[in-house]
Amino acid sequence: MSMETAILATPPKASWLKSLARRLEVRMLALALVIALGLSLLSPYFLTHSNIFNMLDQSVVIGIVAVGMTFVILTGGIDLSVGSVAGLTGIILGLSLQSMPIAPAILVAVLAGAGIGLVSGLLINIFGLAAFVVTLGVMAIGRSLAYILSGQSAISNIPEGMQAVVYTNILGVPSNVLFLLALYALAWGYLTFTKGGRTIYAVGSNKEAARAAGLDTLFYSVLPYVLSGALSAVAITFSVAQIMSADPLMGNQMELDAIAAVVIGGASLYGGRGSMIGTLIGVFIMVMIRNGLNLMGVSPFWQGSAIGTIIIVALLVERLLSARISR
Amino acid sequence: MQLLEQEKPIATVAPLLVARGVTKTFDRTRALAGADFELRSGEVHGLLGANGAGKSTLSKVIAGHYPLDAGELTYRGHEIRLRNTRDALRNGIAIVMQETSLVPDLSVLENIFLPELGRKGWLDYPAMRRRGREILASLGQDGGLPFDMEVRRLSSAQKQLVEIAKALGVDASLLIFDEPTASLSPGEVERLFDVMARLRASGRGLVFVSHRLEEVFAITDRVTVMREGRTVMNARPTASLTQAELIRAMVGAELGAIYTREHEAASSAAPVALEVRGLASPPVVRDCSFSVRRGEILGLGGLVGAGRSEALEAIFGLRARPAGDVLVGGRPLPAESPKKAIRAGIGFVAEDRRTQNIVPDLSVRENLLLAHLGAHRGFFCNYKQREAKAQALMASLGLPAERLLDASMLNFSGGMQQKIIIARWLMLDPSVLILDEPTKGVDIGTRASIYAMLREIAARGVAIVVVSSDFEELLGLCDRIVVISDGRTIADLPSGMLDEEKLTLLAAPRTSMARNTELLRVLAGEQDGAGFWALIEEDKLICLNAVVSNPRVDPGFVAGEAKSFDQTRIPIALRQREATFVAEPQDGRATLVVPMTSPRGHDLGWVGLSVPPGRALPPAETIRARIEAMAATL
Repeated sequence: MSMETAILATPPKASWLKSLARRLEVRMLALALVIALGLSLLSPYFLTHSNIFNMLDQSVVIGIVAVGMTFVILTGGIDLSVGSVAGLTGIILGLSLQSMPIAPAILVAVLAGAGIGLVSGLLINIFGLAAFVVTLGVMAIGRSLAYILSGQSAISNIPEGMQAVVYTNILGVPSNVLFLLALYALAWGYLTFTKGGRTIYAVGSNKEAARAAGLDTLFYSVLPYVLSGALSAVAITFSVAQIMSADPLMGNQMELDAIAAVVIGGASLYGGRGSMIGTLIGVFIMVMIRNGLNLMGVSPFWQGSAIGTIIIVALLVERLLSARISR
Repeated sequence: MQLLEQEKPIATVAPLLVARGVTKTFDRTRALAGADFELRSGEVHGLLGANGAGKSTLSKVIAGHYPLDAGELTYRGHEIRLRNTRDALRNGIAIVMQETSLVPDLSVLENIFLPELGRKGWLDYPAMRRRGREILASLGQDGGLPFDMEVRRLSSAQKQLVEIAKALGVDASLLIFDEPTASLSPGEVERLFDVMARLRASGRGLVFVSHRLEEVFAITDRVTVMREGRTVMNARPTASLTQAELIRAMVGAELGAIYTREHEAASSAAPVALEVRGLASPPVVRDCSFSVRRGEILGLGGLVGAGRSEALEAIFGLRARPAGDVLVGGRPLPAESPKKAIRAGIGFVAEDRRTQNIVPDLSVRENLLLAHLGAHRGFFCNYKQREAKAQALMASLGLPAERLLDASMLNFSGGMQQKIIIARWLMLDPSVLILDEPTKGVDIGTRASIYAMLREIAARGVAIVVVSSDFEELLGLCDRIVVISDGRTIADLPSGMLDEEKLTLLAAPRTSMARNTELLRVLAGEQDGAGFWALIEEDKLICLNAVVSNPRVDPGFVAGEAKSFDQTRIPIALRQREATFVAEPQDGRATLVVPMTSPRGHDLGWVGLSVPPGRALPPAETIRARIEAMAATL
């Protein structure tokens, strides 16, 4: 049938530049470079070796949390509890360190994070509660428990050995940055090459079709929340090691930065769309903006407005641009 | 229904709307390339075309959904420019959509008067209620809608009625019905046609967009056919056309017989691939039993809402099944999950492609391989290993292999999407393939190739189960048909014994069956005998209903059974079928068999009454008159 052939005709071959520009990650990488260029013009200190390592260091905590958040958002969910779970597991880590060696203490904190994620995931997917509401509730409970367990004060007698978690250099790169990059590589590989990873995309894009195709939708809808909770604990472990103290306020508002990074990285809040590379770029953009504003001496009270505006404008420009490119 | 048959004087009326040379391009596709259309007041105008021919686009241009690129619309003699649907509504042009444009959480009344929400001032509920009742009365549907119910709880037919009422609420004089019968049962279609006939009689112009030719012939006055964005047959009187002409115009070439019927009925020696016994899944599936052999195509016939889709979902593990057994290859299949069913060798193509089958964010290849993700153990996807098979399958579907890499399924036509979904299951080599409405939203030309594909799959030894509301399709495609009515399997017959009329009768919901049963019960009771209702063909009979008051005169068959006359206990009476009681030499019982005809002249089969030997015979004429009186109300 001629109609069929008309539909099937392959679209004209676009130039490699244009096909590159069709990829959201590439556009966001360009945006990141533009921001870096702008900031290096505004502040001569921005592109120095020490500031770059400084920014990488600042990316670690938010970057780790954003991995779990990407998994959750890919399934069409949201996890508002990451910040307070980080705070709570930080306190659990601090308390555990008082009575056991470092490795098991970290394990306890991570298992606690995973356990909290499991509860949220099951509530959301077995009882069909809204992810927004469940994790909002967990967020309140987590923060409250963090205060109660810590006795409303910071735990500062952290064993010296914890510093090694962050400050061991391998080939001149600190271990926390290496961990971050390895984690992203692993997560990218999982989402791209494994059945579980592809199932997570399928669940987020069309859960009913995934179920009818015999995929284990329940398992892969809950897994991201478990991962998100566990990674919140991993992230806060690096924080605790850095400042050698566990404070019940730690991780406050971290969920906003993490969600912003994932969304800037091109993920759809409806699920099914997004990537680890995009999220990593999103994290870098967030950290660069914060860092640049600090370098320029912008008042911390104005920084929130600046960051909010930049995020919204970036997404707006992206929306307008992508409409034009895909035409 | 009288309105339907009334001849309409349609000549010498000034056109209500004329579209000339309309073009419309989306991105890279040209949806309309010079379409012409003319609609008069007081007519139902069929707008036909294969999928992608542009009929929906033209409808939406007329309804103001899309602005046109070039061309002109003349409405009541003036050229109009519609920027949006509001403009169209203000002019009195409304569309009743395929996917309804209702707000599911608002009440029926609020939906009917939704445009009122956009006006200033307070809503006058009593006045709306009054006006709503008037509108329903004008449609002959008094009390047909519960005004205070939320729209989400209505059936699709009721939702459609809300849309029609909504259009009348703004005094529309041009109504476009876009595939209005797609999700309606035959009874609901009749009701819709009645409503449409009333709208026509009130002088409104109606556009009827449809794939279904029988319906086009039943309701339209004139027909316009589109192909590839152009009008290829402009406003021809329906009465002057034949189905063949229409199909030729739509497809642009002579189609071979769409159904190449070569039912070399699968040798009954083939092993049973799927057996279902006493399946129940409340609330709709009550008691379903059937079996399919390898290489056989089994059709599940019945009305929309009879529980066919639900029965399939229960078999596949998408729905709980508290009672009944499902055996695949002789081994029981637990109801737990689709995963179990897939591992047992079942493939399932669900009814709604967009919501139940396609994963829009995954590439064509990943959609094709989707069932693989759950079907095998192992951590990695291993797409590479399946590549050769995927390519071979794509080639057998007539798709270039590089299209596998396409980012989205949504760029394909409905027919192609369906083939890819079917191929998804073929990748797993299933022993049973279940399809729910496999040609829904697929144009006629592509349908034929889907039928051919299914036949080829069956020929390879796969047992196929098909649900379809299109009885013609079921009869043409399937070797055997199991009829489901009100959640129960009521008949299991080779399709060679059936035609659309008989299938419609068998599938008829219990409400019309109830009256028949009532009469049979009364007659059998009065005469201390037995009554039945059956379809008769040559020397075979299909029993639709049997009521036995006196076991001594049991006719030897029950509802849903097909038997040759000699297998029954009343062969003589069945053969003679005269308007008198005929005695059987064997036991002396006397049986009257009389024909039953619907008010519209359709053959509804035969009704019989047996009286025990030695009893005084009632006057045959009286009995016959009572049966006719009952038939007249069906």
